[in-house]
Amino acid sequence: MDCSIYVHIPFCESKCFYCAFASFSNIENEQKKYFENLEKEIKRDKHTANIKSIYIGGGTPSFVDCNYIKKILDLLMKKYDVDKNAEITIEVNPNSINESKLTFYKKIGINRLSIGVQSLNNLQLKRIGRLHNKKQAINCIKLAKKVGFKNISCDLLLGLEKENFWLLKKSLRPLMKNVTHLSCYMLQVEDNTKLKDLIEKKQIILPNEDEVVNDYQRVIKYLNKHGFKQYEISNFAKEGFECKHNLNYWARGNYLGFGLAAHSFVGNKRWANAKTFDNYYKGIKELEEVLTKQQIIEEIIMLGLRCDLGVDLDKLKKLGYDIQKNPNFNYLLENNILVKNKNIINLLPKYYGVSNMIIEKLLN
Amino acid sequence: MLNKKQGLKPCFFNKSLLLLDFLFIIFVMDRKSKIRNFCIVAHIDHGKSTLADRLIEKTGTLEKRDMQNQLLDSMELEREKGITIKLTPTRMIYNFEGEDYELNLIDTPGHVDFTYEVSRSLAACEGAILIVDASQGVEAQTLANAYLAIDNNLEILPVINKIDLPSARPEEVKKEIEDVVGIPAMHAPCISAKDGTNIDKVLEMIVKEFPAPKGDENAKLKCLIFDSYYDNFKGAICLIRVFDGTVKVGDKIKMMQTGKTFDVNEVGIFVPYPKAIDKLQAGDVGYLACSIKTIQDVSVGDTITSAIEPIDQPLPGYKKVQPVVFCGIFPADGSKYQELKDALEKLKLNDASLQFEPEVSQALGFGFRCGFLGLLHLEIISERIEREFNLEIITTAPGVYYLVHKTNGEVLKLSNPSSLPNAVEIDYIEEPYVKANIFAPPEYVGAIMELCQDKRGIYQGLVYLEEKRVRVDYKLPLGEIIYDFFDSLKSRTKGYASFDYEMSGFERSDLVKVDILLNGEKCDALSIIVHKDKAYSRGRILTEKLKKIIPRQLFEVPIQAAIGNKVIARETVSAMRKDVLAKCYGGDITRKRKLLEKQKEGKKRMRKIGSVEIPSEAFMSILKLDDGDN
Repeated sequence: MDCSIYVHIPFCESKCFYCAFASFSNIENEQKKYFENLEKEIKRDKHTANIKSIYIGGGTPSFVDCNYIKKILDLLMKKYDVDKNAEITIEVNPNSINESKLTFYKKIGINRLSIGVQSLNNLQLKRIGRLHNKKQAINCIKLAKKVGFKNISCDLLLGLEKENFWLLKKSLRPLMKNVTHLSCYMLQVEDNTKLKDLIEKKQIILPNEDEVVNDYQRVIKYLNKHGFKQYEISNFAKEGFECKHNLNYWARGNYLGFGLAAHSFVGNKRWANAKTFDNYYKGIKELEEVLTKQQIIEEIIMLGLRCDLGVDLDKLKKLGYDIQKNPNFNYLLENNILVKNKNIINLLPKYYGVSNMIIEKLLN
Repeated sequence: MLNKKQGLKPCFFNKSLLLLDFLFIIFVMDRKSKIRNFCIVAHIDHGKSTLADRLIEKTGTLEKRDMQNQLLDSMELEREKGITIKLTPTRMIYNFEGEDYELNLIDTPGHVDFTYEVSRSLAACEGAILIVDASQGVEAQTLANAYLAIDNNLEILPVINKIDLPSARPEEVKKEIEDVVGIPAMHAPCISAKDGTNIDKVLEMIVKEFPAPKGDENAKLKCLIFDSYYDNFKGAICLIRVFDGTVKVGDKIKMMQTGKTFDVNEVGIFVPYPKAIDKLQAGDVGYLACSIKTIQDVSVGDTITSAIEPIDQPLPGYKKVQPVVFCGIFPADGSKYQELKDALEKLKLNDASLQFEPEVSQALGFGFRCGFLGLLHLEIISERIEREFNLEIITTAPGVYYLVHKTNGEVLKLSNPSSLPNAVEIDYIEEPYVKANIFAPPEYVGAIMELCQDKRGIYQGLVYLEEKRVRVDYKLPLGEIIYDFFDSLKSRTKGYASFDYEMSGFERSDLVKVDILLNGEKCDALSIIVHKDKAYSRGRILTEKLKKIIPRQLFEVPIQAAIGNKVIARETVSAMRKDVLAKCYGGDITRKRKLLEKQKEGKKRMRKIGSVEIPSEAFMSILKLDDGDN
């Protein structure tokens, strides 16, 4: 089967204020045991798969010893049939990277970098608890290009405190010129994060939704103008540099997830590893579900409309849902919110910002 | 206990018929002197049900084991189902100085909506225990209830409860009762219903202070129906107090108001569960079953007499209970109409005052126009539909009914704003008024008068009852009272005012219909009828309120209030800008899907007016207009 692989590295130098992912700082002595167990987990896996992409995410994969990464990657290559052109990504942070590390990554087969830049404004970076500064970020991109990475993505956060489009442009401009892919996320305040705490204490005041959405719309226009096509709510790429790994998620392709809290999806089965080290080592699953027809339909709509893949109406029909009988569907079509091309429907990018609302209307 | 005594009688006294007769008369007379019929009245949370439970426990009416259940059940019922579910009257046997006394405790509901029912319950008693919280002292309902008891010529026994609390000040509270309520209270027992302190004292005083019932068991039958409930097997059950005569199985009885006659199938008492006995006679409290098919045939307050030998005059105080507050009730899920109908029919079995008829709304579909005794009654019924029948419902703004005099001489009686004819066809409209008595400490008179004036009240008078109590009398439109009068009164008088009203008839008023338009489309279920002078402010408040309640949609939504074609207020809900899961990678699709499912679930209670989705709360929100400050 065609498949993607995700490997989770749950270690960070320090946790960013907005982060709600499974990542931990100051537990360096856990690393050895973790990687041993990670290897065991991969070895235990019984799937035979033709691998189209590998994504090493976190946490901060660049924070741990390169040899750990090499060992895991070697193991994956050995165990599975990894495509020659497979997209192999690693997430890195500007403050935990140097030239030799990058060269090493290149050497072991990694061909795509995702750099956690978030902003090129030092004050903003401090506000969200990032450890790097603008100079380090720019330098990181330069080094990556120097050692020969052709496919580089950067993360950028929208909706930070006291932000405006003018400031955003100052971050966007240098990135646009040097990278092939940008992920621009509107900051989301999650439970149990330092950010939420700070907001409740009124130490951080985020701009209101309207302002954020205005900036978001301007960013879309700006990037489009400069050759970055929006192919998903938060993702922009130069022609041919769309992230294969993420597209596979949205197309509901198979994927295997290894490591703490990692999610997998094969056929119509989803499962996820435990979120704590002890439970993960014991092989306990956080989630195991076989999707119902209804859930499959919901996912097809939810994932298809958030990116330019769109939703195949025939596919839905085969599952027993004739979406054209939903009165909302015609309403959305008539009002040019949805576009229909043959049997594929797409959400107009203009409405990505309110996509939940529209997706929810289309569920049966 | 009583049964046993009666059962023994023939064995002991069958030697001489004469002697038997003589002894029997003595016994019967003696028996009546050992009966005490009483109720407990109190301000909310002063410990009414706790004391009732303690009395039941102390007299050994229930085993301690059952007691726990009883206690829990009753509390749960009261909490969940409010006051329409009445505790059955309970017969307790209490031995005092070697004699067994039969104490009948009759429970009372406690809200102005049910004042009539309370007064009928009180009319079945000779005495009332007035509980006052030892730290809170006399409160609004203490006074209102005490006056109700005085009106019914009851002997009142004040009891100071919760003396176990550190903040208890029993002596001061006694003084307060004397000053404010105006009844002697120095000998009031100081008790703790919670830990059982001085419960004996209360029982003793019930026997000593409350008079035994009068009446003649050989006279013609005269009973008061003070409550009723529906039993699936026995039909409607009348809870009765016998004033004269005797009633037993096989008797033919007659309801004096309806004129209907029935054969008695069963008579009994509550111990506290129903227990059949041979007969009920003058002074007794119990129940009577006679295969009455619907509860509507049993009117609380009606007099039961013998169909063979009827009395001439019924007991005084009967009133036909009429609904005064109306609203539309619709299933949140339009397909559940039949289920809603079944629920209402089942509730009506037990609640003669509930009325309903089918109604169709453009916005809400098929539902019912329902009539209630008051706002609380409305809330209880809608809550019971949601909880007991697991049905989600939408209730429209409560209103009263109007008499619409048309130019062609026709008079319409209507409660639904959307069925009001065009303005040109209307000659004039009359609306119901009530006579309201408000009791409060004198320092609040200004605030009360201001409120009444604001609610279009007509001043009737002011009476100083005593140094610390005045009664303010107003004539008020009922339609104003059912908005937020009660809440405003409470907040303006720090909860110290008690308020009572009775219907006084219809008066001509300058009323108009205010319609609400969403995105240009009229939403019939949101229309209201208001006084012309208030139309602008209500329209404005309503549109502001709806703006807060109606969520942002894909497009901007204008909300307008209009009289006829004239728009009097406008607000706009701006279009939704951000509703997105910005980050959807890492493969955790499940959580995202669940978020979306939750969002979809939340929309289920939404109604669609044209292309506008409005949450069901919007329909109730009209009720909570606080225009007291305008």
